[in-house]
Amino acid sequence: MSYTPVQLLENWILRQASDAGQAWLDTQREAVATGDLKSLYMAFGFAPRKVGKADLQLTERDLNDAAEARPGWMPHAWTIDQAARVLLLMSLPADDDAAFFATLEKLFQTAEIREQICLYQALQLLPHQELFDDRLSEGTRTNVKSIFESIAHNNPLPMELMSEPTWNQMVLKALFIGTALDPIEGLDRRVNPELARMLIDFAHERRAAKRPIPVELWRVAAPFADEIALEDMKALYALGEKLEQSAIALALVSTASDEADVILKSNPEIAKRAENGEITWHDIARQAY
Amino acid sequence: MKFIDPHIHVTSRTTDDYEAMAKAGVAAIIEPAFWLGQPRTNVGSFQDYFSSLVGFEKFRAAQFGIRHYCTIGLNSKEANNEALAEQVMEIMPLFLAKENVVAVGEIGFDDMTALEEKYLRLQLEMAKEVDLPVLIHTPHRNKKQGTYRSMDIIEEHEIPPHLVVIDHNNEETCEEVLRRGYWAAFTIYPKTKMGNERMVEIVKKYGPERIIVDSSADWGVSDPLAVPKTGNLMLERGVPEEHVELTCYKNALAAYGQSGQFEESDWLNPEPIDQRTLFEGNSVLRGGQAPRVDKQEDDRIIQ
Repeated sequence: MSYTPVQLLENWILRQASDAGQAWLDTQREAVATGDLKSLYMAFGFAPRKVGKADLQLTERDLNDAAEARPGWMPHAWTIDQAARVLLLMSLPADDDAAFFATLEKLFQTAEIREQICLYQALQLLPHQELFDDRLSEGTRTNVKSIFESIAHNNPLPMELMSEPTWNQMVLKALFIGTALDPIEGLDRRVNPELARMLIDFAHERRAAKRPIPVELWRVAAPFADEIALEDMKALYALGEKLEQSAIALALVSTASDEADVILKSNPEIAKRAENGEITWHDIARQAY
Repeated sequence: MKFIDPHIHVTSRTTDDYEAMAKAGVAAIIEPAFWLGQPRTNVGSFQDYFSSLVGFEKFRAAQFGIRHYCTIGLNSKEANNEALAEQVMEIMPLFLAKENVVAVGEIGFDDMTALEEKYLRLQLEMAKEVDLPVLIHTPHRNKKQGTYRSMDIIEEHEIPPHLVVIDHNNEETCEEVLRRGYWAAFTIYPKTKMGNERMVEIVKKYGPERIIVDSSADWGVSDPLAVPKTGNLMLERGVPEEHVELTCYKNALAAYGQSGQFEESDWLNPEPIDQRTLFEGNSVLRGGQAPRVDKQEDDRIIQ
């Protein structure tokens, strides 16, 4: 049996909330459902005080249910107040898309850090989510890493809504601020030559400044690597640290080109591990950050 | 020793200040909403200012291991622009419910005009409605009368004194403020408000009960280390350590803790979600650890 996102959120909150917190949330959702904006603004702010800030204790099955209810929804890092806030937003009448959009924008403009994180993660479950493409780009301009990650990581909306230039800026910024690429949904599906060129330029800039090059860069750059990029990869494959060598091997294997094979042969042991699936991008990302 | 600076406008301060504060033991700070040195001309400026107090500044402070809180309010100077003040009243409820908001403030009198009084009263009612403490700014000029009048008005609105911090006290005002049951805060601000030697004498005279030391450091010539410097001077001049702890840490915690938004565990043992969201990457300190202050080996070199 499959569930709706609302049913799942209700269920997860029910397991962990106190009776008082649960009762408060039910009352507030009813008020918000009448279209009372003041109730929404206040309840949205007060949620952590009423239901707490604990991490949701989700099982493998919960996560599968989530992915079934909304493809790409990955709530493993959600907290109980976040779930409560999303339920409040989902209670808001949405027939008038312009009014709904204006209310959400008001919340975005006045949100503190965790509220922003909640809002960006909530959009994937809300009506009229297609209206929020500019909001997503605006959000990626943040200086606060956790807000950036709420958009870029474990969120299907960038993959679904962002134009190519916006997508490319998001991926480059992720590398620039030192956050992982692996949790970006659709990362491999949305590779493109322009993004690869931007990343290869970035790698050169880092080398010139004698700063390390983030190892995940090669995952996105390799499919469109030109001669110069292959030279860079060759050099790192020969002399880089172990994690760099593993990343280069994996990147080269994915291109399945003759030039890549030549480079891979210079260190056949790592190449073999990459080919056999003993090295994964997920593990590389985990070790890198 | 750990310190709380319960009144500092860090938005105007540099990262050098944050580093120095962390090094001196400042664990938590409160940034009251105030004016910016020149009057704002539209409500959007207030909205973005409030929004930075609950957002970016909290994040910025966390990078130095300092936990940031704020108070939200329309200050007395800008209360004199009635058209603007009305609009600020409309957006205030949006911010009073935010997580790091520990009081309504700083509100009160500047020139003691009718409009200042009107918005003081309105905001006192707002504080009652959302169950938050109040931070009262007392005027630079006509201080004694302004302070007494503020307390009279608070009493008319039936807000109990234990929920109110009266700030910028001096030798002339503190006795009455304490007698009437309020928290009496003192701002150690060079040349204009209090000096820290005078502060030592006040604590010696009145004891530590309900007395709070702050810096009010802002965009003017002021000292973001005023609280630790005053605490250390008290110790040096024979004030018992327990009294220093009360006036430079515990009293502020008790006064603003009444908001339910200001707890020692926030910085000593933060919840996992706070650690994940407030800190930039893995390299900076987490709650309870010693502040990380980067030592540049050679200060001519910028890496």
